[in-house]
Amino acid sequence: MKSTRRLLIRLIAIAAVIAIAAWMMVIGRGHTIYFDNKPIEANGEKYEAPYQIQVYVDDESMGKLKEGDRGMATTMGQDFKMVLHITPEKDAKKVGSAVSLKIPYNMDGIVINLPALLGGAPEEVYQSEFIPTEVEEPEEEVDISSDEFEMPMGDE
Amino acid sequence: MNNNTAKKGNFGNFLRRSSVPLMFILICAVCIPLSGLSPSYLVNEIVTRMGRNAFLILALLIPIMAGMGLNFGMTLGAMAGQIGLILASDWQIIGIPGMVLAMILSVPISILLGMFCGKILNMARGREMITSYIMSFFINGIYQLVVLYLMGSVIPIKHSTIKLPRGYGIRNTVSLLSMRQKLDNLIPLTIKGVKIPVATFIVIAVLCVFIVWFRRTKLGQDMRAVGQDMEVARDAGINVEKTRIIAIVLSTVLAGIGMIIYLQNMGNIATYSSHSQIGMFCIAALLVGGASVDKASIGNVFLGVILFHLMFIVAPRAGAAITGDSMIGEYFRVFVSYAVITVALIMYETAKRSEKKQGGEQLKQAQLEEESK
Repeated sequence: MKSTRRLLIRLIAIAAVIAIAAWMMVIGRGHTIYFDNKPIEANGEKYEAPYQIQVYVDDESMGKLKEGDRGMATTMGQDFKMVLHITPEKDAKKVGSAVSLKIPYNMDGIVINLPALLGGAPEEVYQSEFIPTEVEEPEEEVDISSDEFEMPMGDE
Repeated sequence: MNNNTAKKGNFGNFLRRSSVPLMFILICAVCIPLSGLSPSYLVNEIVTRMGRNAFLILALLIPIMAGMGLNFGMTLGAMAGQIGLILASDWQIIGIPGMVLAMILSVPISILLGMFCGKILNMARGREMITSYIMSFFINGIYQLVVLYLMGSVIPIKHSTIKLPRGYGIRNTVSLLSMRQKLDNLIPLTIKGVKIPVATFIVIAVLCVFIVWFRRTKLGQDMRAVGQDMEVARDAGINVEKTRIIAIVLSTVLAGIGMIIYLQNMGNIATYSSHSQIGMFCIAALLVGGASVDKASIGNVFLGVILFHLMFIVAPRAGAAITGDSMIGEYFRVFVSYAVITVALIMYETAKRSEKKQGGEQLKQAQLEEESK
């Protein structure tokens, strides 16, 4: 009886730890979001880029994006919120817009085309995966063994 | 008269027990003015290093309590922590959740390694320290095999920033920029220019409370009994071997978690070297705090971190001021770190031998008295 209870407690503890790990994997998933202020043409429709868009994520400015510019932010989790201050034309008045997006879990980097997003384009038009270009690298030397016995002091 | 002798004896004992911390206080007292570093800079550095190292050093207390000496095998836990961090980084789990995930991943690895280490140490009873030290080299070989050959080929590693260009194996340095000081900065507090890592200190305080509570539990009492005399403990019905294995498992698990806290502060992992000297650093710091092979307290941990790291900070500058070459200070601190471990081990062996000798003499005396009757 006692051993069954003990086993049950242990199983519950293991299940709780696995659940916490799974939860951490969901809420802690990092994504890099790239914002493009570039004109785009899709499904026969053209989305023109405004003169300037200022992007705020967590009240922090990610930069002023002029036409053709790209900005970047790192986010955690799949719910992404940003505030856009749009200047349609030079000397025009800024217009504010709050945007919420669902980020796909499996994508590390996501490119968001802001003109398409603001123009109400479907998700597959304004959102695409960022695939970094593979750069040929020389093989890195890994120093794993040596005959030296000195103590590399200093963790500073 | 007798009172005076007793007082002198007590003072002599105190001096002998505190000789290492007193020596370090003296060294620091000389080096601090020579270094020319400002008090606020020193306090800032000490506070940062205390947050970085205290958890790791606290991991050493439980095996000492169980009479297993200084656990050089804590490196095994450090390796488990690093594997957890590498996997969490590759899965792009960032910030505090990344740290928590790395800790959860490290725990089963630490438990397995700790059980293995504990079993071996039970076979090498009485020679735990040297065995755990050599054991850390042995497991380091397996760690290198896993990290250098199996990760990327058998264990999936996706990101080229972590993987070697050849397609398998982990790079020399793995960036933890997405986790860097996330725990330290979770509750930001700055007092007179001194940045205090409140959340890290809370985690350390929780571990201190755990250790104090653990000492009072049945298992903690068993460990102390095993530490004092294994045979007496066995006669009292304590499963000595199992208790010793639990002590090493706990220490390894805590070392894994401590390594993650340490590396989040540093902001990167030196994949093939971060763990290798961590045991030596932590043991040296604990000994500097006045601990011995068979006795250590939480107070020793904090005093040790302060004194050992104060010397780390001021010695190169003081060396440069005295000799014109900062490397002299570097050599000095390397020399002192090794020396303090050596002195502690010699003192422990000397005390053990004199205890044995006294015991033998008492037995001889008793036998003579018996015979004369």
